[in-house]
Amino acid sequence: MQLRCKLLIGFVVLFGCGFASAADDAKAIEHFESKIRPVLVEHCQSCHSAEAVAVKKLRGGLLLDTKAGWMKGGDSGKVIVPGKPGESLMVKSLHYDGELQMPPKGKLPAAIVKDFEKWIADGAVDPRAESTSKTTGIDLKKGREFWAFQPPKASVGATVDSLLQAKWDEKQLKPVAKADRRTLLRRATFDLTGLPPTPDEVEAFEKDQSTDAWEKVIDRLLASPRYGERWGRHWLDVARYAEDQAHTFAVKPKTNAYVYRDWVVQAFNSNMPYDVFVRLQLAGDLVAESAGDRPTRIAALGLLGLGADYYKNTAREQAIAEELDDRVDVVTRAFLGLTVSCARCHDHKFDPIPTRDYYSIAGIYYGTNLTDTPIVPDVEVKIHAEAQAKLKAQDELVSSLLSRVGRAAAIDALAHTSKYFIAAREIKSGKAKLDAIAKAKDLNRYFLERWVKFLEPANAGKVPSPIKELFALKSDAPEAEVLKVAEAAQVALQKLDIPNIGNAGKKSGEAKPKSNDPLIKTMFQDPSAPLLVSAADAEKLFLTKDDRTELEKLRVELEKRKSSIPKPPLQAPVISGSGQGMKVYVRGNPATKGEDAPKGFLQVLSGSKVKSGKDYTRLDLAEAIATRDNPLTARVMVNRVWAWHFGRGIVGTPSNFGVLGDRPSHPELLDHLSVGFMDHGWSVKWLHREVMKSKAYQLSSEPDAANTKVDAANMYLWRGARTRLDVESWRDSLLAISGQLDSTIGGPTFDLKDPSARRRTVYAKVSRHDLDGLLRLFDFPDANVTADKRNSTTVPQQQLFALNSEFMLNQSRAFANRLEKQSGSDSERIATAYRLAFQRPANSQEVELGLRFLKLPSRQDDKLTRWQQYTQAILASNEFLYVD
Amino acid sequence: MNPTDALLGISRRDMLARTGTGLGMLGLAGLLGSKVTAAEAKRVATATDPLAPKVAHFTPKAKHVIHLFMNGGPSQVDTFDPKPALVKYHGQQPPASGLKTERKTGGLFKSPYKFHKCGQSGIEVSEIFPEIGKCIDDICVIRSMHTNIPNHEPGLLLMTCGNTQPIRPSMGSWLLYGLGSENQNLPGFVVLCPGKPVVGPALWNNSFLPGVYQGCHIQNLDPKKVIDHLQNRSVTPATQREQLDLLNGLNRLHLERNAGDDQLDSRIRSLEMAFRMQTEATDAFDVTKEAPATRDMYGRTYFADACLTARRLVERGVRMVQVFYGNGQPWDDHGDIEKGHRAKAMDTDKAVAALLRDLKQSGMLDETLVLWGGEFGRTPTSEGGNGRDHNHHGFSVWLAGGGIKGGMTYGSTDEFGFAAVENKVHVHDLHATILHQLGIDHEKLTYRYSGRDFRLTDVHGEVVKGILA
Repeated sequence: MQLRCKLLIGFVVLFGCGFASAADDAKAIEHFESKIRPVLVEHCQSCHSAEAVAVKKLRGGLLLDTKAGWMKGGDSGKVIVPGKPGESLMVKSLHYDGELQMPPKGKLPAAIVKDFEKWIADGAVDPRAESTSKTTGIDLKKGREFWAFQPPKASVGATVDSLLQAKWDEKQLKPVAKADRRTLLRRATFDLTGLPPTPDEVEAFEKDQSTDAWEKVIDRLLASPRYGERWGRHWLDVARYAEDQAHTFAVKPKTNAYVYRDWVVQAFNSNMPYDVFVRLQLAGDLVAESAGDRPTRIAALGLLGLGADYYKNTAREQAIAEELDDRVDVVTRAFLGLTVSCARCHDHKFDPIPTRDYYSIAGIYYGTNLTDTPIVPDVEVKIHAEAQAKLKAQDELVSSLLSRVGRAAAIDALAHTSKYFIAAREIKSGKAKLDAIAKAKDLNRYFLERWVKFLEPANAGKVPSPIKELFALKSDAPEAEVLKVAEAAQVALQKLDIPNIGNAGKKSGEAKPKSNDPLIKTMFQDPSAPLLVSAADAEKLFLTKDDRTELEKLRVELEKRKSSIPKPPLQAPVISGSGQGMKVYVRGNPATKGEDAPKGFLQVLSGSKVKSGKDYTRLDLAEAIATRDNPLTARVMVNRVWAWHFGRGIVGTPSNFGVLGDRPSHPELLDHLSVGFMDHGWSVKWLHREVMKSKAYQLSSEPDAANTKVDAANMYLWRGARTRLDVESWRDSLLAISGQLDSTIGGPTFDLKDPSARRRTVYAKVSRHDLDGLLRLFDFPDANVTADKRNSTTVPQQQLFALNSEFMLNQSRAFANRLEKQSGSDSERIATAYRLAFQRPANSQEVELGLRFLKLPSRQDDKLTRWQQYTQAILASNEFLYVD
Repeated sequence: MNPTDALLGISRRDMLARTGTGLGMLGLAGLLGSKVTAAEAKRVATATDPLAPKVAHFTPKAKHVIHLFMNGGPSQVDTFDPKPALVKYHGQQPPASGLKTERKTGGLFKSPYKFHKCGQSGIEVSEIFPEIGKCIDDICVIRSMHTNIPNHEPGLLLMTCGNTQPIRPSMGSWLLYGLGSENQNLPGFVVLCPGKPVVGPALWNNSFLPGVYQGCHIQNLDPKKVIDHLQNRSVTPATQREQLDLLNGLNRLHLERNAGDDQLDSRIRSLEMAFRMQTEATDAFDVTKEAPATRDMYGRTYFADACLTARRLVERGVRMVQVFYGNGQPWDDHGDIEKGHRAKAMDTDKAVAALLRDLKQSGMLDETLVLWGGEFGRTPTSEGGNGRDHNHHGFSVWLAGGGIKGGMTYGSTDEFGFAAVENKVHVHDLHATILHQLGIDHEKLTYRYSGRDFRLTDVHGEVVKGILA
């Protein structure tokens, strides 16, 4: 980068000297001052000057307010070649000749364009002062001093609590009281599983007097398969997981996308070490195989295998560039918390990321493909392929038998062409009936019927000689003539070398190759051919007893092979192939290629042993990220986990650890946890335990005026936060409380539009093209791009869902049903409703309110009972939607 | 958390980023730059609904946008950009210009229609738009539009979202984010289209903006079905009122135990709003409530009802209504343009003119910016003898109302209508201008996402000052 700048400056100096002598030419200066400078000022400099730079209006990277500016050129290269107007891009663009047309507001008068041509022809004399603007490079050494690029340091002797306490002391905050056990269990259960606790679980925890009661709860929840469903979904936000593309042109939805989703859920449930989790998603196909781990390694590739696949037509390279941006953006924001995509058109304005680095990473993906590949071991793929081949072979035996039978029958009929023709003529003219004449002349009824249809005048134009002659016979032609022509045709036909023309049906095996001989086609193969015998017809009409026995034998074996064929190997969406490397696209424009950007990693994060170039693979990239040496990888994940627990990260911008991101509120804590995370084998479950055992996690959500004055945003976690359930947890809880939840794990997606769907929301279809209305309504992120946190908006359309949707009504009915099964009075049932829905007893006011409502007379037109209306209100309530 | 307290205790930036009610504030931050006053911040912060109306940068000329989207790409030389040279050189090859479009086209192809001078201004309009022609003195035709790519998908996306890939928020979403909506009982950005235009939902997507700014796509104009879950089919309204009273009772008891929590209070209000929406939204979309004479003025077609609905919606405070002419890409006449364009013009002319007259008569045209146009234009050369190919080099759109000068044309294409040459207006410029009329500086309406401040016009766009009244 710096080298390039030096070269450029050298070039400018040399170039400038070459024409310095012309500056003495007073006439040339006068021409510039009177004809050129005013035009530049009026028509060009609003976009091409230092002032334009100042107001961020510089276009095309070109300065025209100084001589140095135009000598340096812009993104499209040099614009003026002194002495050569014909080679100067500026002149071309002034002529509006080609893509670049300047000024954009309209072509300048021809006389002015001539002035410019003259000025350039005379050497482009320009007496204006040299530019004062400097080209800025990126200082990587200085860049590395930024906190996020420094290795995390453990605080000796510190604990999560001591580090949080230090900030409370520093800010003079007094944490509020600890939450009660019911609140705590509700918080932890929603947090780790996305579902409410059962009344029994609450009771057990409230009664548990052991010192490790809380630890046992955490362990129980972490061991539940519901944990992976909840935390896997967090990661799927980051992975911008979806099954389709934003557009529907020439792309099909990936119905196997769920393989990646299930992999993520399973990775959390099995506590896959995070470094492995990273490595497999980036290069699962390239890491060394160990026995039986193929499904795990390959399914992980869905992170990029489900990436953006844009519409490519006229602007193909541009679309590919956008796809590469998807790869670079997801990889760098998800794993590194860096906005490398900002360096696509220019060096990163805030972080030490030169444009070349962007293309070094993009080049790792340039030329890769989004494909599907089997995730079962190779041997299973082979077994399936062999079984398929055996099935096909048997199928061919069946078809060839039928084909042989059909062919024999057809050849037999061919020998009597003349008789068939004459009989068909008689039927057509009404002189004879089909069945009668077939019997009388010992002709096959099947072929005779086909002959009759074949002789339709519509076919006359299509048939070759000597069949044409048959069609040409007039209806009143003398018998002798008819016989003569028919026999001639028969003789000609009998000379044909009849290939294996059997038309063994469409179902079994492939169609036999069609003959090139028009006569054979006409007689045996066209749909109208008189001697065509389909496999079905051959079987129905022409089988001998022996044939039939043989066929049955073949069929038995066929069925056996069909039923023994293993299921097709499960395919996973993957990224495949290796990138070809790229050149920098100047200003992000694929049409203007700049310097080489050898495949590699971000320079600011590369130590002394920098690897880059032709042989750099996705695995190298994975290794550069999934390592203790990378100061960001552990920090970014620790912070994500923290943010998903508390609703806010230690760094408030989980996917941006750069200069424009937030600074950590507790830098020592972030480092302490990051080092511990790595020391404990990158164990995410270890991290959960550390976080949840902290005092801050267990505080009540009650307000405190004094603390609010200092830290209203609760950045220092002096209290618990009341949060709205996300859409998945809310919907799943509705199903859980109504007793309807289907807890099947994994597999193909279901559609949320189905109001009777009962599976967990994580298994619902996620679309980039048309995100489901319920998901969108409740702040599910746009799956076209990686998301690091969710909004929480409140709009009336959400409440329409709660009040009117079929899904909600279904749950209300089911919940009421669940309560009605229980014997007892209305007030006892109300108490049960509260225990189930809110995991607490109802107070007297609440019981009173409920009873009053239930006593209201029902209306004739209502399709819900008062109890069902009541349960709907419980399910739609704030207390159901918010967790303390 | 109480945002008023937040203002006292922490920096504005912290508050914007962290308060649950800060969503509206993000827009405010972008809108007001550093000039945000505590009073203003407080005003918006207390409005916990992210769709609550917000202050603009400067006094707006328009409050609403109606975009009549002629999807598929109407031909400029057959509608609003007459080219006599095409008659003269009919059938001849155009001078070599190197202008590429999607497919190869043949010789120059004169318009099958006559143009007539219309109104006081005498602007020439094609005979296929007799009624719109009569409104020409309220219309500003921009004849020098250009866009980037001659394919429908990128063209549609650029026109609706300012980017050729489906990864950016739509203009309607930006407007909602920046300005909110004036009616909380209706969606603030409504898209009317029978079926779907090509590309589909990405055209009204909120993308990285919060989901509440997504356009609400309505296919079926049946008032009871326009919004999801608008009707309850299981209980009578009286029963639902009782049920809502119960729910309010439960929520109030909950709130008493958690006093001062805005998010809880805000949801209670939102439930009431939803209850009202059931009747108000139904009413807003019910064109049968219009006088028969009014309906006759628009015509009795789907498109006419959509135009009339658009008027009913902006009159109720909806920020933006986008009316797509039809499913797929109906204006895409690659063949037989004479028949194709005439049929679509006949189907729309009366309704479009009626909308302009209706808005004008009620005084609403002054505050409603109407935009008519497609995603690109068509070639002045023929495709297959009687059709025209896509053309991104030059095309026409028109604007009316909302502080735009009527009875004028702006810019021009070359002799044949192939490429914009004079006073060229890019789609980004059009967006900048529309935002400007709504009181927004397009360079200041930004959203911080992925480490960058994004805006509708990316790094482009200049307000077309020459068409402002």
